[in-house]
Amino acid sequence: MWGDLNGSIIPRHAKPKGWDGRAPTRWAERGVSRRSFLRFCAVMTATLALPDRYMPKVAAALERVKRPALVWLEFQDCAGCTESFLRASRPSVGDIALDILSVNYHETLMAPSGKAAEKSLMDTVRQEKGKYLAIVEGSIPTKDGGIYCTIGGRTALDIATEVCGNAAATITVGACAFYGGWPAARPNPTGAVGVQEAVPGITLINLPGCPPNAVNITATIVHFLTFGALPATDQQGRPLFAYGSRIHDTCERRAHFDAGQFVEEWGDEAHRKGWCLYKLGCKGPETFHNCPVVRWNDGTSWPVGGGHGCIGCAERHFWDEMTPFYRRLPTVPGAGVQTTADKIGAWVVGGTAVAFATHGLISTIRAKVRPLDKELETKEEAR
Amino acid sequence: MPKIAIDPITRIEGHLRIEAQVDGGRVAEAWSSSTMFRGMELVLKGRDPRDAWLFAQRI
Repeated sequence: MWGDLNGSIIPRHAKPKGWDGRAPTRWAERGVSRRSFLRFCAVMTATLALPDRYMPKVAAALERVKRPALVWLEFQDCAGCTESFLRASRPSVGDIALDILSVNYHETLMAPSGKAAEKSLMDTVRQEKGKYLAIVEGSIPTKDGGIYCTIGGRTALDIATEVCGNAAATITVGACAFYGGWPAARPNPTGAVGVQEAVPGITLINLPGCPPNAVNITATIVHFLTFGALPATDQQGRPLFAYGSRIHDTCERRAHFDAGQFVEEWGDEAHRKGWCLYKLGCKGPETFHNCPVVRWNDGTSWPVGGGHGCIGCAERHFWDEMTPFYRRLPTVPGAGVQTTADKIGAWVVGGTAVAFATHGLISTIRAKVRPLDKELETKEEAR
Repeated sequence: MPKIAIDPITRIEGHLRIEAQVDGGRVAEAWSSSTMFRGMELVLKGRDPRDAWLFAQRI
């Protein structure tokens, strides 16, 4: 998606319609060229599924913005969401996002420790009340008075209530802050829950994923800075631009599914050819995320592109409901080409699901007549 | 003897608290505590072993 800067799709002296051509001093100082900056704006506009005429608006907003404060809270987390965000591509999504914001608290990044760190957090909460953004990573334990996660002697629940309750908006990143993540997986030893459940009634948006994609985190922040509001969400509070379409519907291997071409075992001929991973447990048919489009590692690839099935990490309770990960989904709702998470929730799993699940079975029978499978069978017999 | 506590310790992954007893400018005794528990071992019990790596890499 980002590609090489020299191969930019944006002309060297690009001046989008409506752009007043101000000097990009702020970004230049940070070593971000005009071209990189505009490219970043173009990617953000595209990720947010906005028409390209919004790009100047996004660029203008990012130039003008008066560095709003951001606090990043970590509770029962592995810091994987932080890593995902910081190891983003160039022009570093992390760099630009961190430069648009005044990051006043982030335990993994900040220099102060102990009392000084607590002061940074509480100063922001008091002085920027109702104006700062709060990002939460990790689940919140509720069992035994919340003692399973404390920072500076305060429980995670206590901190979240105060910090998220006074924020302009809270963005949860990752599966843990969304619904509890793996700490909430059976038997949920610490009574872990997500922010929505722990601190009800706050302005909140969920960016699940294990980890979530840095491009989506940044795009959400950019949307907030450009329009002064959080993007539109589904019933679970996930932005539609990132969680509005099913992995299965945008998957590059979808044609193989439709053609009944499945990988039967790891490393077989079909696997080498990049066929569909449904039979090896891919959860793409039940997962709503934009991974196939935005991809990972500077947009180079994504799990299914790399040859492993989707584990469904953007969905609630996937650690319990999508496991065992290598077992084929027994009943998959979905008959149409396009669907949304809200629709799936409303569907009655009936004949269509059975038809979908048996599709794999029938294809095995059909595949018997394919030359490739003939070849494989011969090999099998020879073994 | 004065006792100091540093919590949170920053620039690490995870949560850590250090307490130290200072005696004449020297640390006489010190305690460290991890202030976060999730129970990975309890969650992994009884699951398909092929799933273990997916859980454990998120410790």
